[in-house]
Amino acid sequence: MAVPTMPDLAPVRTGRANVQAPSYGRQASGPSWRRSIRRQLLPIVLVLPALGLLGLMVFYPLGRLVATSFQELGPFQLISHKVVWDGLANYRSLFTSTDLGTSVFQTFLFVIACVGLTMGIGTGVALLLGRIGKFFRTAVTICMLFAWAMPTSAASIVWTWLFQTEYGVVNYILTTLGGNFDNHNWFSGTFPAYSIIVANIVWGAIPFVALMMYSAFSLVPRELYEAAAVDGASPATTFLRVTLPMVRPIFVLLTVLSIIWDANVFNQVWYLTQGNAQLLNVIPLGVWQYIEAFSSNDYGLGAAVAVLMILLLVAVTGYYIRIMVRTGQVRAELRA
Amino acid sequence: MTAPVSMAGARTVRYRTMTWVWRAVAVVFGMIIVFPVYWMVQSSFEPNGDITSLKPNFFPVNFTLHDFVDAVNHTAGVGQAYFWDDARNSLVVVSVATLVTLIFGFLAAAAISRFRLVGTTAFLVMILVIQMVPGTALIIPLFLLLNNLHLTDNYLGLILAYSASTLPFTIWALKGFVGAVPYELEEAAMVDGASRFGAFRRILLPLLLPGIISAGIFAFITAWNDFLVADVIMQQNYHQTLPVWLFSFTTNTGTDYGGLMAGCTIMSLPVVIFFLLVQRRIVSGLTAGAVKG
Repeated sequence: MAVPTMPDLAPVRTGRANVQAPSYGRQASGPSWRRSIRRQLLPIVLVLPALGLLGLMVFYPLGRLVATSFQELGPFQLISHKVVWDGLANYRSLFTSTDLGTSVFQTFLFVIACVGLTMGIGTGVALLLGRIGKFFRTAVTICMLFAWAMPTSAASIVWTWLFQTEYGVVNYILTTLGGNFDNHNWFSGTFPAYSIIVANIVWGAIPFVALMMYSAFSLVPRELYEAAAVDGASPATTFLRVTLPMVRPIFVLLTVLSIIWDANVFNQVWYLTQGNAQLLNVIPLGVWQYIEAFSSNDYGLGAAVAVLMILLLVAVTGYYIRIMVRTGQVRAELRA
Repeated sequence: MTAPVSMAGARTVRYRTMTWVWRAVAVVFGMIIVFPVYWMVQSSFEPNGDITSLKPNFFPVNFTLHDFVDAVNHTAGVGQAYFWDDARNSLVVVSVATLVTLIFGFLAAAAISRFRLVGTTAFLVMILVIQMVPGTALIIPLFLLLNNLHLTDNYLGLILAYSASTLPFTIWALKGFVGAVPYELEEAAMVDGASRFGAFRRILLPLLLPGIISAGIFAFITAWNDFLVADVIMQQNYHQTLPVWLFSFTTNTGTDYGGLMAGCTIMSLPVVIFFLLVQRRIVSGLTAGAVKG
């Protein structure tokens, strides 16, 4: 709350500062080289804790992950602290595995479905929010906030309850509407089961995308629309030529984030497929490597799957990250 | 009415009709999106007999709190109820991790936006890239690391993991908030005799408080929701957190949906309340940073 009022105060303070310029002395004491070292030292000291934590908990594990993928690591090696290098063996068994192709293909399909639906519906809802008036907008926003705030673990369990075979309310509603869904088991086939998982993920992701896109749409300057109207542009042209280019950066950012998040989804898949061996035959890579590592106790193979997953993600999103760096989004508020 | 007026009138009527069509679409969408949440709360206030009836009630006709008692006392088939242990673990671990990530994040964000430091852009790109590394991919080496350090089944291990996983986003968000505070204020304080650090503490920190609170709540929610790390690192039932507790709940009693929904409601409640408090600032803060370029 205090932040917006501050710019009014600032000139007054700096004005007084100029008058008192001589009292600057405290900073100026000591030889200049020592001052410049101190000035360089403070920011480094400030960044150090963050760098240290990320180094220990992200970069070291990342390096270790790559190393592990070239090792044979099971419960025996874990207890005896023996390092057994076995070259490309993990990758060899990974690439000869019949599951790999299916899993990669399924992961792609899964991510495309999730991201496509999230971005499509999310953008549609954002446009919708712009034309229904303040009252309805607030009401829909509150509804979305509830969905957004739900922890994924609780939400996934609620979704299994919604689609439960005997007492699930979805079967009841669909039957009432005239379908024959009495005792319909949604989790007996892989396609319906994964459709529900995708619906669960999309449901949880729409609010974020819709609110961000709505915010982006409303940040487009009015003058541009007026200029377009003066030039006689049709609503469709205005949308394509004015609105879309303006919201493009944030749309790209949201798409990249969605790809990353959806490729990493664990909770929803894990909760909704639990105890169903048949459904686990077609799992996204993220869940697969977890099972390899912690159920089959083959950490090496699990690490190899994880490395493959990171490489695929970097390949898919690297291009967009480069665009974001080039267009200066990464440097956002750097004070020059 | 003359012709031109009625033409303009027809256009207004069509515009109004369309507005109402959009409003109807919006209402249907809003109902669908909030329904799972409503159904969770509804089911958690219904007696079990009503829940497992072939014709569901859309309101808790026979209102009861019994499901919540069931959830809290649920033994998960291991002969002992772990709800209070796991709730305490969740609260302690997540709160401390949030505090750590805020302190580290504030210091780093202040350094990034207040100093011309070599490698700042590289640091920011690094933070962005870290977000791409899947949490699921790091779980194996993280487990091996904490296992070596004897930090499995230990609060400290989980706190470190949560602080690290929420730190990149916290730095990113706080950097935006720091950028919005005019530097002249700190300059003035330093001219008046405050040290650099004193200016941070006395000027920047109070002004940033709303931003810090929203970033903190975001970190809190992220850590509160985690299942994977807690499940792998904490092996004893009484060391685990609420998401893991919820999972053990389902595997053993598939039929007690009332208790299960009550458990879900308990877990979601703090998050939903926090969320409604800060969402506006988060959305505007994120878009401001992303669009400004």
